Order: sequence, then structure tokens, then C-alpha cells
Amino acid sequence: MLNVTDVYKTFFPGTVNERKALVNVNLTLAPGDFVTVIGSNGAGKSTVLNTVAGRISQDEGVVSLDGRDVSKLKEHQRAAQVGRVFQDPMAGTSPNLTIEENLSLADKRGQARGLGFGVTRAKRERFAEALTVLELGLESRLKTKVGLLSGGQRQALSLLMATFSQPKILLLDEHTAALDPQRAELVTRLTRKVVEEQGLTTLMVTHNMAQALEVGNRLIMMHEGRIILDVSEEEKSKLAPGDLLAEFAKIKGAALDDKTMLQ
Amino acid sequence: MITALELGLIYAIVALGVYLTFRILNFPDLTVDGSFTSGAATAAILIINGVNPFLASGAAFVVGTLAGLITGLLHTKGNINGLLAGILTMIGLYSINLRIMGGANIPLLGEETTISLLRQIAGSGWTSVLVLVAVALVFKVLIDWFLHTDAGLALQATGDNEQMIRSFAVSTDRMKIIGLMLSNGLVGLAGAVVAQHQGFADIGMGIGLILVGLASVIVGQAIFGTRLVIQATMAVVLGAVIYRLAIQFALNAGLNPNDMKLMSALLVIAALLLPQWNGFRKFAARRKKGRSALQAAAEATLTKDANLNGKKVS
Repeated sequence: MLNVTDVYKTFFPGTVNERKALVNVNLTLAPGDFVTVIGSNGAGKSTVLNTVAGRISQDEGVVSLDGRDVSKLKEHQRAAQVGRVFQDPMAGTSPNLTIEENLSLADKRGQARGLGFGVTRAKRERFAEALTVLELGLESRLKTKVGLLSGGQRQALSLLMATFSQPKILLLDEHTAALDPQRAELVTRLTRKVVEEQGLTTLMVTHNMAQALEVGNRLIMMHEGRIILDVSEEEKSKLAPGDLLAEFAKIKGAALDDKTMLQ
Repeated sequence: MITALELGLIYAIVALGVYLTFRILNFPDLTVDGSFTSGAATAAILIINGVNPFLASGAAFVVGTLAGLITGLLHTKGNINGLLAGILTMIGLYSINLRIMGGANIPLLGEETTISLLRQIAGSGWTSVLVLVAVALVFKVLIDWFLHTDAGLALQATGDNEQMIRSFAVSTDRMKIIGLMLSNGLVGLAGAVVAQHQGFADIGMGIGLILVGLASVIVGQAIFGTRLVIQATMAVVLGAVIYRLAIQFALNAGLNPNDMKLMSALLVIAALLLPQWNGFRKFAARRKKGRSALQAAAEATLTKDANLNGKKVS
């Protein structure tokens, strides 16, 4: 479903600030794969996601979605097939529009946006039904501006919106990191549910190693722009966060404390 | 008084255009100073050459959209700062407007114009004011409708959260260009009608127009609120009328017409600074007390969450 082949990316090349963000990254996701990505700050996790989404263009290599080379497509063109949820709960919704208007924007992903009304009675019913899944009571607040919702409510709504029109790929960039533990738990549960129900091919970046082990059917670890570990579902079920740290230390041949990893 | 009302209602179309860029797209577009005159020039030259005045005003709309298109392309495809892109188009249009008009001024006296037709039908009393009220409301409703279509919602989201709407497969470049075209089209049309109202098109008539538009939008929305789009556009229309009446009042009170631009600038500065002043905030808060407790509570959670999130992200 998703193929990232021989991708390189260097920021600020030729300057003192030169940083190799991605070095020969190869990643293949089968349809329905739910891959969690971990690694310390600056390891290149977000860069991988941004490269797939088209927000960053790679220096070398190919990104293809569903067998089609999308390397040259712009971010909004790829977005027809790629759903995203960002770390910042403010980033995934339009605060001055209402809940139903936000859903209507999500509903039209990849379709022409013409002069028909964005929200109609039929659509409103469909939106309300979809919102019940979140169990936050938002279905009775369709005309509330999203800016009035809490961070957790917004992030849950962002997740619903990102998956509303069934994208081929779902990219989650530490989407629970800015939430309190309870809300993070809710959003994680919703994520598993929606990914399972729609069989979405998903790439999820997280700093939380327990979460990375708990969800998904595959785990990759990145360091300094490279994928240094790729764990299958079977192996993953036997691992504990401590094992990941040990694995990391073994591969890098250097001792590493929790703090660096969990930052 | 009646002339001021009429002008205010015509300038309401300018205000609606400025609302689209300044409020919806969050883009202070200075092109309007040029496109207003372009619209006036286009309509005037067509009218004195015998073209139907309604057709001529339509042409002014089209010329306005072209001006918006240029600013939009400079900003999105050329990566030029929005303010600078608008200024560049505005300055360039000055020469183009002189070319269109073939001189600095075109008198329209004795020509058949939309306003002369209005006078024939409705005279120059309250009836003609009512006709212009209807015209302004038609444009207001058209904007309301457009902003609630799929395309219009995408336009609103482009000004609200670019990253988000791009992740839903909308080209923000295209939306900005559409918004700028629509806005400048309206401004061009208003320029055409103003020229027909005052009986001439003049190369300097657009100077400082952005302030007139901003003053209308800011004053109107400060008084009448912005919670819903239909409310916000109504506020903009009323703001334009109030602004024009205020100008009329100031002139009647003996203010030198040459000082009007300074007055406009001071009015906009006051409208921008007052809300930041503590005393004014307390006054506004007292006024808000009457609002439903539910909404106040929701806002409280919002600020609390914003604080929490701010802490966690940093």
C-alpha cells in the first residue's frame, strides 16, 4: 500500500547546521498494516511522516501510494488519499467553523468542492451518527464552534475527520502527546477502533513506548535518520519497554537512559 | 443625509469585499486601492463609448477580479509577502488605470448610467435609498450563501487553519486566489457604481480605500458582533453606512474635507487599540454577562485547555 524507497533528506545542506534527517530509508506497508514508529528527538520520525504526506519533499528516492508514484505530487494532492492527525490539538480542525462544517470539509476529501451547500439535513444526520462513536456528546452540539471544544474533544474530532472519508493511508504524528492521560487513553482507544473497523494502513509516531508496543501490528525504531529496528507483531508481543531500550543500546553500542528516549 | 446613506450602501459592497480578504482569508489586501479605480475607469470609458451601464459595471467586476488574480499569483506562486504583493499590484494599476481612462479624469455627466436610471425610476429621495438597501442586501446574501457552500467553507478554513484544510486535499493557493479575485471584483464593481454616482471617474478616487473598507469592517463588527457569518456580513454592511454617516456628520460639523483621510486613519487606529485597553475590556465583559452561562462556561474551559496545552507542548 505504501512504499518508501531509498529516501534521503538533508536539511540545510552545505551549512554548519546541516542535518541528515533521513538516510536511505526503506519502508513498505502492506494494506491494513498498523506500524508504530519510535525514536529519540531528531531521529527522523516526523520527517518520514511529512515526506509521505508531501509536506517535505525528499532529496532522493521514491514514495508510492497504492502502487502509484506520488513523489512529485504536492501535499494537498496527496491528501486526497492520506489522512492526518497532528500532535497539536489545535492543528487538525478549523476553530471558527462549527463541528458540522468541519465534518463537511472532511467529508469532501478528494472530491470537487462546488457551490452546493456544505451542510444539508441529510449530511447533518450522517455527521451526528458518526459523532456518537466518540462518546463525547458532540452529536448534540453540531452548531458549536470547534474553537470552544477542549483539546481532547478536538483531537477526537480530528481523528474522526481524518478517517471520515476513508483515506488509503492514515498518518498519526504523536497525536496523543499533548493530552492528559485520560484523554490520551480515549483517543488511543478510538484510534485502534477506527483503524480496525476500516482496515486502514496506518503509520503512527509516538514517544510513548508502552503505547507503541500495545497498539499496531508492527514497530519500527529510528535513530539519526535511519530505521534501526523493525519488529513484527509476533516479536512485539513479547517485548517490554525495557527490552526496546536494551535493543537500542545493543544496536548503537552505547548506553542510553530512558530520558533520552522518552523526551 | 440621503447622499451619505446612498454612498454608504454602495461602499457596503467594498466592505463586503474587504471582509472576504481581511477577515475570512486573514489577508490585508491593499490591491483594493487600485482595483476600485480600475473598476471606475473601466465602467466610465465603456459608458462614454455607449455601452449599457449595467454591462459596463459587470466589466468593472471582471477587471477587479483580474487585479485580484495578479495579487494572488504574486503571493501564492511567487511567494511574495501578502502586503507587498498587494502594494505592487496597486502601484502597477495606477499606470494601467491612466491607460484605461486615457487621462486622469472622465466626466459622466449627461451619460446614461445605472444611477441616472435609478433617478428616473425612484427619484433621489428615500425610494432610491431603499433600492440601494435591496442591492446591498442582495450582495450580502450572495456572500452568505457562497461562504456556506463546499467551496466557501474551504475558503473559510483556508483563512482559519491552512495546515488543516490542506490535509483535506484543498489547494490553499487556489482558495486564496479565488478569495482575492472575488474580493477585488466586488471592489471594482463598487468603484464603477461610485463613479456613476458622483458623475465622474478619477485616478485618485481609490487612494486610502483600504482604510474605508477596514473601518467599515472593524467598526461594524465591533458594534454588531461576528458570531455567525450572516451576522458578520450584516455588521459589515451597517459598518459601511455608519462610517459614511460619521464622515458626513464630521463634514457638517465644519471639519476640513482635506483632513478626512487623517480622520479615517485615526478611526481605524482607535477601533484597533480600544479593545486592547483594560477599561474597555471591563466594559465589554460587563456587557457579556447577559450572555448564556453555557457559552461562558465553554469559553472558560477553552482558555483553561489552551493554557494546559501550551504548557504541555512547550
